[in-house]
Amino acid sequence: MSGESTPSTTDAETAVPQVTDGDTTVIARTVVRIVVPIILLVAIALLLQGHNQPGGGFIAGVLTTTGIALVYIIYGLHYVEDNLLSGTILPRSFPLDVGDTGSESSASITKEFGEVFTIGLIIAAGGGVAAMALGYPFLTQAVVFLEHLPIYGEVEIASALVFDLGVYVVVVGGLLTILAVVGNE
Amino acid sequence: MQSPSQSVLLVVLALPFLAAAVAPLVYRLVGERVAYFGAAVAALAFGLIGTQYGAEGVVSIPWIPSLDVSLALYVDGLSLLLGFVVSGIGILIFTYSGGYMHDEPGKAKFYTTLLVFMGAMLGVAFAADLLALFVFWELTSVSSFILIGHYQDDPDSQYAARKAMIITVAGGLFLLIAFLLLHTVSADVMGTATFRLAGEGSMIENAGAMREGLRSAGLFVPVLGLLAVGAAAKSAQVPLHIWLPNAMEAPTPVSAFLHSATMVKAGVYLIGRFRPLLGSAEWELLFAGLGLLTMTVGAMLAIKADDIKELLAYSTASHLGLIVAGFGIQYKYGAETGAFHILNHALFKAALFLVAGIVAHEAGSRLLSELGGLWRDLPITAAVAVVAALGMAGLPPFNGFYSKELLFEATFHAAEHAGGLWWLLPVVAVFGSIFTFLYSIKFLSLFFGDRPDALEHVHSPPLPMLAPPVILATLAGVIGLGGIGGTLGIHFWPLEAFINRILESVGASEPHFGYYLPTSLTPAAGMSAITVGVGAVAYPYYDRLAAVVDRLASIKPLSPNWYYDGIMNWLDRTGVVAERLHTGRIRTYASWLLVGVAALTIGGYVAAGVVLPALSSITLAAPIIIVLGVAVVAALAVTIAPSHVAGVLTLSILGFMVAIFYILANAPDLALTQLVIETLVLVLFLLVLNKLPAFYGDLKRRQIVTDTIISGVVGVTVFLTVLVSTAATPGKPIYTYFLERGGVPTEHGQWLLEWGGGSNIVNVILVDFRAFDTMGEISVVAMAALSIITMIAMRQRGETQ
Repeated sequence: MSGESTPSTTDAETAVPQVTDGDTTVIARTVVRIVVPIILLVAIALLLQGHNQPGGGFIAGVLTTTGIALVYIIYGLHYVEDNLLSGTILPRSFPLDVGDTGSESSASITKEFGEVFTIGLIIAAGGGVAAMALGYPFLTQAVVFLEHLPIYGEVEIASALVFDLGVYVVVVGGLLTILAVVGNE
Repeated sequence: MQSPSQSVLLVVLALPFLAAAVAPLVYRLVGERVAYFGAAVAALAFGLIGTQYGAEGVVSIPWIPSLDVSLALYVDGLSLLLGFVVSGIGILIFTYSGGYMHDEPGKAKFYTTLLVFMGAMLGVAFAADLLALFVFWELTSVSSFILIGHYQDDPDSQYAARKAMIITVAGGLFLLIAFLLLHTVSADVMGTATFRLAGEGSMIENAGAMREGLRSAGLFVPVLGLLAVGAAAKSAQVPLHIWLPNAMEAPTPVSAFLHSATMVKAGVYLIGRFRPLLGSAEWELLFAGLGLLTMTVGAMLAIKADDIKELLAYSTASHLGLIVAGFGIQYKYGAETGAFHILNHALFKAALFLVAGIVAHEAGSRLLSELGGLWRDLPITAAVAVVAALGMAGLPPFNGFYSKELLFEATFHAAEHAGGLWWLLPVVAVFGSIFTFLYSIKFLSLFFGDRPDALEHVHSPPLPMLAPPVILATLAGVIGLGGIGGTLGIHFWPLEAFINRILESVGASEPHFGYYLPTSLTPAAGMSAITVGVGAVAYPYYDRLAAVVDRLASIKPLSPNWYYDGIMNWLDRTGVVAERLHTGRIRTYASWLLVGVAALTIGGYVAAGVVLPALSSITLAAPIIIVLGVAVVAALAVTIAPSHVAGVLTLSILGFMVAIFYILANAPDLALTQLVIETLVLVLFLLVLNKLPAFYGDLKRRQIVTDTIISGVVGVTVFLTVLVSTAATPGKPIYTYFLERGGVPTEHGQWLLEWGGGSNIVNVILVDFRAFDTMGEISVVAMAALSIITMIAMRQRGETQ
């Protein structure tokens, strides 16, 4: 996640003219640049520790969305689109009337996010189906304990983490779609 | 009899729906050849139903066990009949559509809906549970609505679709009430309340006791009446027949399939199905009367029609009346009439509709006055029409003759036994049949007589359009030949054995069905002779008769359409619907919804005699009181916030206070969620704020008062609900189950399956114990995102894709 946001520093110069929401201050932009990676890191931590400590896929998903929402507000939608989403303006399979520039950008970005929550649903359901393939009811979860590992000692791995990851991805995809569409208005 | 195979029946039922789901995709791949995909699906369903021919009985798949609702499927003669008719005619209709729909718009939608309809209709045929039956029943109405309104932009289509929807769905609601009453009564009769209609431990198995129970509860006649309304609405019985002629706005394959062969048969199927349960003197009076009335009125209206599809529509209502009358009469010939005529009518009427489609398609007109002498251009079609129309007229030896003969015999027998006014039955039956004869011959005038000069060159129909009516007419002809064989002592035993099975399911004991041409002058044969004789004499005066009927039908108070349009216009004029209910404003819908929910909730509390817990038993720690106090102040402040930004910010004070409350209540997960959600909502609000108007205009005093009352009522309801629901202390709270199983046991192996294996019980519940719920919730999130995309991002794209 933080790897994705590194281009922002190099492209900052070119990004400035594209800011659509206009009058954000240098302070805000600097703070966001520092804070967002931390937010994303916390979100991932919440996702991973969810099984035994407060957290979980839903919270992590919402937190991630909040982080990205900050980037939206401070840098504008086009910045996110051009620099974080590898410059896709027109989507691969999303035909639109040319000339309606207003909805173009939103459509491309929602297409990306649409794919995200589809993948999430596939992950979540796939985990359940995998349990069925092993002969258990749909969505049966199991825990495996790996013992005698170096450094960690005993580690507990829950299959529920896969499901939680699905939840996380769906929430991120879904909320970002809503944010992008509403924000573009 | 072996018992039916559960898997085969499930496949039969699921197949059309699955096919409907992929139909748009198939359409993209193969274009209009998707018609043959539909035909293949129907053929497969037909074949699978065929494997169950020797079976009888019920298979049950639990659906809502706690409410004793299951998807029970029942196989017997009657359900097999409907199943065969639906899937068999389905094959032909899909094939025919492949030719007919060539130049029509909206093919993907058309075939998808047609497949859904076929699935729903098969559901009606095989459902053994009243609730499942109801669901499939209404599903057929909905798919019919979509198919009638196929030409969405045509006002006539819109009117027709709406009319069919209102009448058939409203009829379905009457049915629902009847089903619920039966369910209630079954509790007294059989000990446990059941929705099971047929099979083991069902209402029909205990028919005698059920009738007693209904009578002692004083519900027999009401249930009978409610069922009759439901069935009459679906099967176009007078005075609810008015939607059927309008329904002819649909493409012709739809008219042939839904509005003659199958969907309108659902009503008579229901009557046949309930016949063993509710058969009685009242039953006979109601359905014999209703059926004969419809038969006569329908036949009379048919002769005034100039449009051939309209003629066939009225004729359909008339023949459905014949079937209803047959099922109404308790004598054994009554059941035979109904059972046999369902089959006969499906064959000849579907063929005639397809013929009408060919004529309209190839000659460019559907008006009797503009057409004639077509046999030179369409010789095969003409042959089909002759076989089918003479069957419809009831001329020997064509198939319709035998079932009409049975009706005559049944009515005569009923009159002979009861005497008095019952003699009206055979008289009316003959009277109606004369008109049937007249319009059937008139239909044939399409093909004979002089060819009008104005008629341009008529093409021959393509093979996919020609083959289905030929097959139908051949089958109808074979049934007719079977009668000739029967006269000579060579019985067409497969058909007779099948009809016997149908008779068993409609309540005839030891059926012994056989059909043949009359060899001596029985009363029924005499009645047939009168029908044909008077019909032949009256035919030259056809136009004058039509004018008389037209004049009668234009007397407004006699026409049900006048009442229907009157009510609809009244609703429009007074604005009951448009100004009170469907204003198109969210605030209206929200008020109705909220008030409704609050009223139902409070009504439920009052009905259940819920007592409020003593408030003194609630104790709160000081920090919580402070936090909640701040929340209340914030809530009040929101209402007087001077600007949107101030309002949103004040609202988030409330949200954060709730988060702190969660922390104080030892719920860190909830608090975390509340915090991030609150933040995100704040962000979203700020994004849209500058789009909102700053000033909404002055509020009316009345508006303020109603809104205050509504919000007050809703607030009080929620408050009461929280009080009441938290006051209950179950003996063993449900969380103990999760707490006992959520964590990691002290002794455990490498793999842990039975236990949650996590110390965060909230999350373990979410992803393990209740993972299925969570699955549903994330689907909702995805769904919400999708709908936002459709609503906002795609709204400018319009519907032209």
